[in-house]
Amino acid sequence: MTEIPVQSAVETTPFTGTASGQPIKIDIRNLDFYYGKTRALKSVNLPIAAGQVTAIIGPSGCGKSTLLRTLNRIYELYPEQRAEGEVLVDGDNILDRNYSLTRLRRRVGMVFQKPTPFASSIRNNVGFALNFFERMSRSEAEDRIENALRQAALWDEVKDKLNASALSLSGGQQQRLCIARTIAIRPEIILLDEPTSALDPIATAKIEELIHELSQSFTIVIVTHNMQQAGRVSEQTAFFHLGELVEFGQTSSIFTNPTETRTKDYITGRYG
Amino acid sequence: MPMHTLKAFDDELEELRASICEMGGLAETAIRDSMEALVRHDTDLAADVVARDARIDALEADVERRAIEIMALRAPLADDLRDVVAALKISGVVERIGDYAKNIARRVDSVEDSRIEAFSLLPEMARIASEMVANALDAFAARDGQKAVQVCERDQAVDDFYNSIFRALLTFMMENPHNITPATHLLFIAKHLERIGDHATNVAEMVYFADTGEHLPDRPKASGKRASAASRT
Repeated sequence: MTEIPVQSAVETTPFTGTASGQPIKIDIRNLDFYYGKTRALKSVNLPIAAGQVTAIIGPSGCGKSTLLRTLNRIYELYPEQRAEGEVLVDGDNILDRNYSLTRLRRRVGMVFQKPTPFASSIRNNVGFALNFFERMSRSEAEDRIENALRQAALWDEVKDKLNASALSLSGGQQQRLCIARTIAIRPEIILLDEPTSALDPIATAKIEELIHELSQSFTIVIVTHNMQQAGRVSEQTAFFHLGELVEFGQTSSIFTNPTETRTKDYITGRYG
Repeated sequence: MPMHTLKAFDDELEELRASICEMGGLAETAIRDSMEALVRHDTDLAADVVARDARIDALEADVERRAIEIMALRAPLADDLRDVVAALKISGVVERIGDYAKNIARRVDSVEDSRIEAFSLLPEMARIASEMVANALDAFAARDGQKAVQVCERDQAVDDFYNSIFRALLTFMMENPHNITPATHLLFIAKHLERIGDHATNVAEMVYFADTGEHLPDRPKASGKRASAASRT
């Protein structure tokens, strides 16, 4: 009789392939990043699964935000910063200078730690990028704005005051507005850089629920300092330390039985 | 292992561990004293064992409270989480071990005839079972998965004892129906000891999991002549 191999319930997947077996959306290959002469990312290889949430964790200065900044080339705003290696989005190397930045921004949206609403109406905040990227009728734009606000779970709270200033919203609402603004142009990938660190627990829970909902439609990469948050929202977790990817695997494995001592020490609060 | 940045967390984990070890010590003493009471037919000592079980029960409740508190307030992860869950489960098992010792003590009054042949095997069986308990808890205190494996390996010896005693008592009962009552009490005592061995094995398995994050592979099941009284009853 053939024995059926019993797979250990707790298993950390090695660096090849996505941890979940999902198709790869973003394939980071041999990525190095430099701030001037300082090497902030060291030969990072990380496959990010399509339609899932991947959390990036690690102590301050480990390179997690740098990684996120590489995925939409926002670092190019600073002349002394450069990335080497490849970041393939559906096979296209987005680090290639010939790869259109406009096209990239269209495909990859980003939400920052602090809400960054424009000092304009709620409607304009969401419609701004729409008008930039697409030509559409006024009623079509209104539909898209409503849709984005609904997807960001903000519609019910703002539908009667779309002309009010975005700055009049609470912090949590502002952050959801930024998410609405990001998803209005229908990107494929959303980058979240500590999206809830400035929010209270209820607003945080709303954003986390939203992340879960959005992962049905988008590939999400989230940087977070909050280990419990990484555990709650992500399917995969990557742990970075001093610019190196130390461990990458299923979130459930990383938080119950990490393979690397450095990962274990960090997540159990024994770091430094 | 390096300390936690939050030292109070280390203290709490250590206190939890200490409570489990105290429970283990009490359970081990209860097994030893219940057997001594049995051998010497000392009903006072037996009553004492029964009375002392309350302390084990109280410690179990205490471990449960602390473990839940740690989970709620410290949100432990990785090996810390496995440790706390293991402590919670182990405390339940050790409490059961205490109950078995208490049940043995309760039968002391009913077993007067120590000349029954099978009786002579019980102290040795109890010694091994009790050592298994002690070693499993030592392994927990030391976070030593390999030591835990050794505990599991000894369980077969306890099962073998049980099978021998079972056969001997069966023969004894068939010889004369008057033997049935005392033999049944002894059989129950042997069964309690066999269960203590099983529970010590469970503790060891949890220690192994807490230490390594992996489950111990299943031990080969008793087959052929080892498909025995221990696995059937």
